[in-house]
Amino acid sequence: MAGIDGNEPHQMTMAQALNLGLRRALERDSKTVLFGEDIGRLGGVFRVTDGLQKDFGEHRVIDAPLAESGIVGAAVGLAIRGYRPVLEMQFDGFVYPAFDQIVSQVAKLRRRTEGAIGMPITIRIPYGGGIGAVEHHSESPEAYFAHTPGLRVLSPSDPQAAFVTIQQAIASDDPVIYLEPKRRYWDKGSVDDSVDPLDLAATPDPWRARTLRAGSDVTVVCYGPMVRTCLEAARASSEVSIEVIDLQSLSPVDYDAIVASVERTARLVVVHEASRNAGLGAEIAARISERCFTVLEAPVMRVTGYDVPYPPNRLEEFFLPDLDRVLDGVDRVMSY
Amino acid sequence: MPDQVQVFSLPDVGEGLTEGEILVWHVKVGDVVTVNQPLVEIETAKAAVELPCPYAGIVTELHAQPGEVVPVGAPMVSITGASSVHQRESVLVGYGVKHGGEPRRRARRTTAAPRAKPIVRKLAKDLGVDLAELTGTGHDGIVTRKDVLGAIVGPAPARESFDVIATGQPIIVRGVQRAMAEAMVLSAFSAPHVTVWVDVDMRMTAGLVRRMRAHPAFTDLRPTALTIVSAAFVRVAREHPRINATWVDGPDGPVITEHAHVNLGLAADTDRGLLVPVVRDADRLSLVELARAQQAVIDMARAGLSTPADLTGSTVTLTNIGVFGVDGGTPIINPGESAILAMGRIIDKPWVVDGEVRVRPIMQLSLSFDHRVCDGAQGSRALASVAAFLADPAAELLLG
Amino acid sequence: MDDSGLGAAGVQLLTAQGERVEHPDFSLSLTNDECRGLLRDMTLVRRLDAEATALQRQGELGLWASCLGQEAAQVGSARAMAASDYAFPTYREHGVAWVRGVPPLDMLAMLRGVTNGGWDPNRYRCAPSTIVIGNQVLHAVGYAMGIQLDGSQDATVGYFGDGATAQGDVNEAFVFAAVFNAPVVFLCQNNQWAISQPADRQTRTPLFERAAGFGFPGIRVDGNDVLAVMAVTRYALERARAGDGPTLIEAYTYRMAAHTTSDDPTRYREAAELEAWRQRDPIERLSIHLMAEGIVDDVFLEGLEQEAEELGELIRAGVRSMPDPEPRAMFDHVYAERHPEIDAQRDELDTYLASFVEEGVR
Repeated sequence: MAGIDGNEPHQMTMAQALNLGLRRALERDSKTVLFGEDIGRLGGVFRVTDGLQKDFGEHRVIDAPLAESGIVGAAVGLAIRGYRPVLEMQFDGFVYPAFDQIVSQVAKLRRRTEGAIGMPITIRIPYGGGIGAVEHHSESPEAYFAHTPGLRVLSPSDPQAAFVTIQQAIASDDPVIYLEPKRRYWDKGSVDDSVDPLDLAATPDPWRARTLRAGSDVTVVCYGPMVRTCLEAARASSEVSIEVIDLQSLSPVDYDAIVASVERTARLVVVHEASRNAGLGAEIAARISERCFTVLEAPVMRVTGYDVPYPPNRLEEFFLPDLDRVLDGVDRVMSY
Repeated sequence: MPDQVQVFSLPDVGEGLTEGEILVWHVKVGDVVTVNQPLVEIETAKAAVELPCPYAGIVTELHAQPGEVVPVGAPMVSITGASSVHQRESVLVGYGVKHGGEPRRRARRTTAAPRAKPIVRKLAKDLGVDLAELTGTGHDGIVTRKDVLGAIVGPAPARESFDVIATGQPIIVRGVQRAMAEAMVLSAFSAPHVTVWVDVDMRMTAGLVRRMRAHPAFTDLRPTALTIVSAAFVRVAREHPRINATWVDGPDGPVITEHAHVNLGLAADTDRGLLVPVVRDADRLSLVELARAQQAVIDMARAGLSTPADLTGSTVTLTNIGVFGVDGGTPIINPGESAILAMGRIIDKPWVVDGEVRVRPIMQLSLSFDHRVCDGAQGSRALASVAAFLADPAAELLLG
Repeated sequence: MDDSGLGAAGVQLLTAQGERVEHPDFSLSLTNDECRGLLRDMTLVRRLDAEATALQRQGELGLWASCLGQEAAQVGSARAMAASDYAFPTYREHGVAWVRGVPPLDMLAMLRGVTNGGWDPNRYRCAPSTIVIGNQVLHAVGYAMGIQLDGSQDATVGYFGDGATAQGDVNEAFVFAAVFNAPVVFLCQNNQWAISQPADRQTRTPLFERAAGFGFPGIRVDGNDVLAVMAVTRYALERARAGDGPTLIEAYTYRMAAHTTSDDPTRYREAAELEAWRQRDPIERLSIHLMAEGIVDDVFLEGLEQEAEELGELIRAGVRSMPDPEPRAMFDHVYAERHPEIDAQRDELDTYLASFVEEGVR
């Protein structure tokens, strides 16, 4: 496995890995264009698009007016014209003005035109909390999008996965909501950028879950920002052997991977930052209860945010699942 | 008042940053500093930022040098002065700067644990065992099925411990096998089983079966003794409702429900194990229809195509153990029912007819019934009726 | 050389050099106390802003969106309002909140992370900060429609920036205000920048001219001239009260600092531009004018500086000692009426936190 200069894989942050992945995508296909607020000259408020406008030009990396609905709506038109738009919503809490264009148009146009028009649009959204931010900057809106047929939803959890999956998302002819866990933007990890993300033989399928840690007593399913939290919890748990699965793909969910694990452990905990009611955990619990009913030793437990609007940041540590809360969920499921 | 030393640690200046590089200090050790005086310039992932001094006093120590990368929360400078101001901890959820090192979980007092799995709780309720009085021997003090059963049969007699050396591959009990095991335990230890048996001369039944096989109505079916036994049992179940009933522990006390219809369960041995497909409303079917329905549900079960609906809802069950080469036994009632009939093999035996010993095809029938629901008289009469039917089936079918 | 971009259309009553000038359509006559009041307001707001910025750099606030350079646009417009009018700010209108009477520490509480609001909007008749761009402009129009239904003489002022004019909500607000003839003043502070994007990324025509397309008047004013801003806002409020409908005021000003403390404007702005606008400082020009007229003197200015020092001390001490809320506070006021999920989860959190061996969860 060689790095850029033929050496060892590089250590880089997730933000840098995404930057590199976007660069590769722009190099790969001249119809790929980036569109979003402050992504060009500024390089993005998290620097994820840093340097790209300078290298690829203002017609490939476009600074948009301040209008999220406008960005997505215009992207629909660009896609119909044959472009491959990669959009940025500056923060999770700002995607809502664009929600209409996403669910009414982006999600449905292929179906409505019987395949004549595709929506190869990637919408990048920094999401999740844990950064001490103000209102509307810590949301987890994945359930709204996972619930919408026609959309795919991805969330990477480490720099290598980010480097690979952002390119795979862009290359996909389906619309992808690409949720970037902003509290992990500065996490460092090794990235092997010699990997060709479009070579199915060489790189993992982005729509499949990844088992990041093997265990025998209980399966913990998580994604995005919670993956690191769950891995830390698994390491801190001395009496219970915890298997950690990173879903990565939130729509579709790789249920086969979860089922295979639960058939061995018979216990499942799902962890997400988003509020509990009607969250992704609820769907996973229902599916696994259907497929693993005779195998389960305990009900599927969910460890989630509470059903309140995201609190002021001095309270977010009580709202968000942390190591102790994940292990509390494990305790509860082990007590049956 | 002794001078207090205030330490200024690196804050998160940009919504989720984790570290900063010291670029240049604007002060040195020994300098007098005032509040908000420019102190140091740092470089973060987003920007170069100048930090103003939070305290007034004298700089006593610089904890990091230009070029050094400092994690958020780490000390940068110590200042001795008169003002004592507490610097608040960064919010930084999940970054763990506070702990320094591998994250650990916090100690808990107790974790609340339910005392038993739902199915074990139901068993305890059915058997009238109070969970609160039991000591759980399962994981984390959980009450197990064994604990519950142990409470009703009394404490196990003291026995010397012995070592069991396990050899061979352990078979994890799951799925159908597990469901069967649990049903058996539930039934055996909630219903008081009484088994009565009788031998019957199957000559007339065998003859009827031969004629049926030759009859056009049964062309695509293969009637056997089982077909006639089913018809007999269904008829008897209608006429002796206590063997076609269910005992229920209701909120106001026990209730016996005699069913209006007979759904005949047929125990079938399949690749997946013991399954009991059901022929619904068997009492309303003609002999041909019954034969057809029976064959259909058994074939489906053997092929693994039964739906959950096909395998539930029986009100009485028939099991053919004769195919295995035995005569009789003590079958266990299907939970939710009050009787089960086992038919044995048909084998030539000496039989007294009109005072003389003849060779006749003899079959044993064993009927287990729930003694809460029917008494010895009712159970015995029911079995005798089945035997009488089989002794002269044509008459029963025509005249019954 | 006037490179202010104001053009002939910009209303001005006080030049950048502090010279008092006349305008054919707008005039202003203030008492000496009122003049001193404006200088005091702007000076203290600037001080509050500077202290907040420093506190963020010291880790005491999570974020701060500076209003440096926009004091005249905010103080001038807010001082034109009547007590019973209602203001709808963005997240940068510290000058407006100050004038409406919101205590400084209340303004900082949200950035301290202890609350999502900070003050009682109805007490100060100033809506909470709105971070989602443009939302509050529709709210201002709706409130104005309520005023109409009540038959009252009140009016509302909806604040927003140049960037917001691209948002659907703001354009819808213009439509609604025009169609319903609502008593609302749209106060757009064109501070030239929406994070890294200059105003010409949001519009191809001067912002004040957009109002005509919607059917109501638009006026450009020198946003760094507190007298002109006040005069034009008074005029617009009078129109609203008289039932003549909405007005768009484009206060032409400049965002002297970064978008927020997370931003680095050196990546996209020239230092020369900043320097040019420093020459048009709103406080400087008023101070010069009032000194020249003998309305303020050195004694007054020293007194004002002392007051600013005390305000700084109050803010530093107050923010540092601001208590964190209890964890269960996150369940308060989610609903007006009791809700079973809220009750259950509040109990769940209490039980969970009590299950730890150490007292004091933090």
